Amino acid sequence: MSLHRWSLFALGMAVPLIALTPLGGPTTEATDRTVRIEASRFAYSPAVVHVNRGDRVTLELVSTDVVHGLYVDGYGVAAEADPGRPARISFVADRPGTFRLRCSVPCGGLHPFMIGKLRVGSDARLWLALALGIPAALVGLLGWRP
Amino acid sequence: MRRRDLLRNRLVAAALRSRGPQLVITLAALAGLLVAIVAGLTGTPVGARNAGIVLVWIAWWALLMLVAVPFAGRGWCSVCPVPVVGEWLQRGAVLAPHGAGLGAGRRWPRALRNIWLQNAGFVLVSLFGIIVLTQPRVTGLVLLVFLAAAVATSLVFERRTFCRYLCPVGGFIGLYSQLAPVELRVRDAAVCAAHTDKTCYTGSASGYGCPWLVYPPGLTRNVDCGLCFECLRTCPYDNLALNVRPAGADLAVARGRGLDEAFKTCIMLGSALAYAAVMLGPWGGLKSAASAVGTTPWWGYAAAFLLLVFGLLPGALWLATASGGRLAGSTTTTVRSFTRFASALTPLGLAAWMAFTLSFVFANLSYVWPVLSDPLGWGWNLVGTADLAWTPYGAAILPFLQAGVLLGGLAWTGAAVRHVAADLEPQRSVVLQAAPVLSLAALLTVVFMELLVA
Amino acid sequence: MTERAGRLLVIVVVVGTPLAVYGVRWALARSEPGATVTLHARMAEDGGWTPDHLAATVGQPLRLRLTSDDVMHGFAVGRTDLPVVNVKPGQVSEVTLTFTRPGRYVFYCTRWCGVDHWRMRGTIDVAGDPVEAAAEMPPLYVRLGLDLDAPHPASPVPAHRPSAARGARLGVAIPAAYQSLDRYRSQSPAQLWSSLRTDTRTRQLSNADVWDLVALVARSHTTPAALEEGRRLYAANCAACHGERGAGDGVMAAAIASRLRSFPRHGVTGPVDFTEPARLLGAGPALLQGKIVRGGMGTGMPYWGPIFTAAQTWALVDYVRTFQMDLEDPNE
Repeated sequence: MSLHRWSLFALGMAVPLIALTPLGGPTTEATDRTVRIEASRFAYSPAVVHVNRGDRVTLELVSTDVVHGLYVDGYGVAAEADPGRPARISFVADRPGTFRLRCSVPCGGLHPFMIGKLRVGSDARLWLALALGIPAALVGLLGWRP
Repeated sequence: MRRRDLLRNRLVAAALRSRGPQLVITLAALAGLLVAIVAGLTGTPVGARNAGIVLVWIAWWALLMLVAVPFAGRGWCSVCPVPVVGEWLQRGAVLAPHGAGLGAGRRWPRALRNIWLQNAGFVLVSLFGIIVLTQPRVTGLVLLVFLAAAVATSLVFERRTFCRYLCPVGGFIGLYSQLAPVELRVRDAAVCAAHTDKTCYTGSASGYGCPWLVYPPGLTRNVDCGLCFECLRTCPYDNLALNVRPAGADLAVARGRGLDEAFKTCIMLGSALAYAAVMLGPWGGLKSAASAVGTTPWWGYAAAFLLLVFGLLPGALWLATASGGRLAGSTTTTVRSFTRFASALTPLGLAAWMAFTLSFVFANLSYVWPVLSDPLGWGWNLVGTADLAWTPYGAAILPFLQAGVLLGGLAWTGAAVRHVAADLEPQRSVVLQAAPVLSLAALLTVVFMELLVA
Repeated sequence: MTERAGRLLVIVVVVGTPLAVYGVRWALARSEPGATVTLHARMAEDGGWTPDHLAATVGQPLRLRLTSDDVMHGFAVGRTDLPVVNVKPGQVSEVTLTFTRPGRYVFYCTRWCGVDHWRMRGTIDVAGDPVEAAAEMPPLYVRLGLDLDAPHPASPVPAHRPSAARGARLGVAIPAAYQSLDRYRSQSPAQLWSSLRTDTRTRQLSNADVWDLVALVARSHTTPAALEEGRRLYAANCAACHGERGAGDGVMAAAIASRLRSFPRHGVTGPVDFTEPARLLGAGPALLQGKIVRGGMGTGMPYWGPIFTAAQTWALVDYVRTFQMDLEDPNE
């Protein structure tokens, strides 16, 4: 196949790669993990939570000023906590990737932008996809005439 | 791909020439704008339950960025309600020409006949972006100011001066309309050459001269054509075509480009970056700084933002074009190649904005349903949807869509960069000219991936 | 379409749209029965309740439409069984209040909304014929003439947490004198310990054992239901400042401490740590009642007099005791 075709192929593979199971990399033992997340207007602390794939995760939501919520994209679990009454969400982190944490109780002006991240496993696939996709994108349409 | 003229279809031609349907659609949009203003100014201060925020920054913005601009270029401009009230007053009529109007008809100063004012307007609104997007009162006020400015401009200056030279939204819609798969052009230039009256520009009894101050036979790019279809009504020779064409055909046009557009490209890329970091990132300190207007942290944020869009990005692009030119032994001036290569970054810019829009639209689209029943947050339930809870959509497919859009935009930019390099210096190495700019584009793509997807 | 028709359409839309909005509002308001008041809730620092004073008449329903202009709030009327509702941002909740006795009532916010959440209160004056009722006695701390702000260190303090269950296993009967509720409430645990220590019937017991007896006495003057009510009230009203485990380390504690550094009050430095034995074992139930009812006089401790009924206050006092002692039911 021509260079053009090869790079189109690579480009086409890059995006679906994000869907596939992680390629290699050390598999870490799944453990029980409890993470205390403090919520204030308008951020979570810690803002990025790392867990290993398969961990039995408990997120303890501690609101520090007003009533906040926590919704985990992709897993669809949620909880809401008043200051003084932490709430707990438990789930098994069986899906790898990066998931946004979002506040589910209106807590003021910037509420829709109150965002955190949950990283399950490594993001190797994303960066692999980029490593393949970017050169493919750049080289790819060499033969294409606009 | 051959161009296909939609106006060959008699139904389409009749529908677009007829003023009735256009008026009705525009009035519907105007009703929406008025509801947004009333809701913003008098409804609940809670943004998520106020039509002023939800219908404008979620519903309309999604339609604009994900559908209208990529597929129809300046299609929104043809039904935009902001200038119409002023235009009716200026013309003294709401349909075909009907006597004299109230407009003074002055000409826009020559020195301002570019998009620098729109660049400044967009940057100004972006500096306060997070406040505008989340506070109903502020959005209501901004929309009211737009409306008032458009009316005032229409009464003082000729035609759609507001749209062409002042509207901040129009600034980027015009830029990205170059990528659309539709265009309005004349069919046969010889017919125009033989036509002495040029009613498409001067107007006639059946219609107004181009409100966008464009000379239709001279249209080579979509940037300034607002798809108002006035020229369809004034041309006595049926010489206008609405073509479906290869997407991004305008990128191949070398003429008519200026520094204002080049900077606009950088402004759009830079603000997409800033918005992605501030609004969609996990950094609370950045959000606080960006929203606490007037405080020292905000001034720091404002300075950084201005530095990014007016300094860092254009500077990086300048360096990239200069070094590419030097590597290849190019004889083109850096200003010229800077301007041309900036245009090649247009697809990446649209892709970045689309990816950004996808993020917050998918997450917040569900706010639209309750707002339809209770636009002002006053406890109404007009269509029974007031109690629908917020729920994000499509979290599973979102990363694919975003990555696909970003990589697609990068690929397209790659092709455009390659084309510009070949066009500028046919005798020099395309790869050497293009490599630095392509690296910059790739770097920006990685940054957007990290901010939006990872 | 003729120009005329077009202009008509334009006027209908431009004028009609804003009119329609207010038209719908007017139409919906007309269909509402009786007296209706719309209450806007904001965080205390941004204004609190608007309006914050309402009027009603005995027997006549007062309908309230409640909406929040910023964060999640709640609405309740102190010292009554009237319904409690959430007040949601940008949404409207409704509650109908019907009063049976005249007087001044206090309504308050029930969902933590910032460090000044407890200041979010308003009043309802209910008119009507005065009802014959037994005159309410002043609270115990008033009748005892306690100085609520005097220091009350306990000495000695137990080496480990006293336990009512262990106390029960001692097989020592509680002398009749300690079975009086008023007497129990009037004394601090330290005073109770001294009194039990000097009692001849406890000569065989160690100091620690006597502390367990103190816990047993405390347990005998409360019930599992009261402890549960106290736990619920503590979680909803006190934990944000005093901490989930009573250590004075709640999420609001830092803000309060910071304020007290700028504006010192009575030597208080922050929310009290209930797990500190020397302090709380020197405070009897009546003293705690006083602190809860009267509040902290500018230290940031709210005054709960208009909010909690007497029974609720005692339930809270009983629960707070569990931060120093284990009061599990010895019969379980």
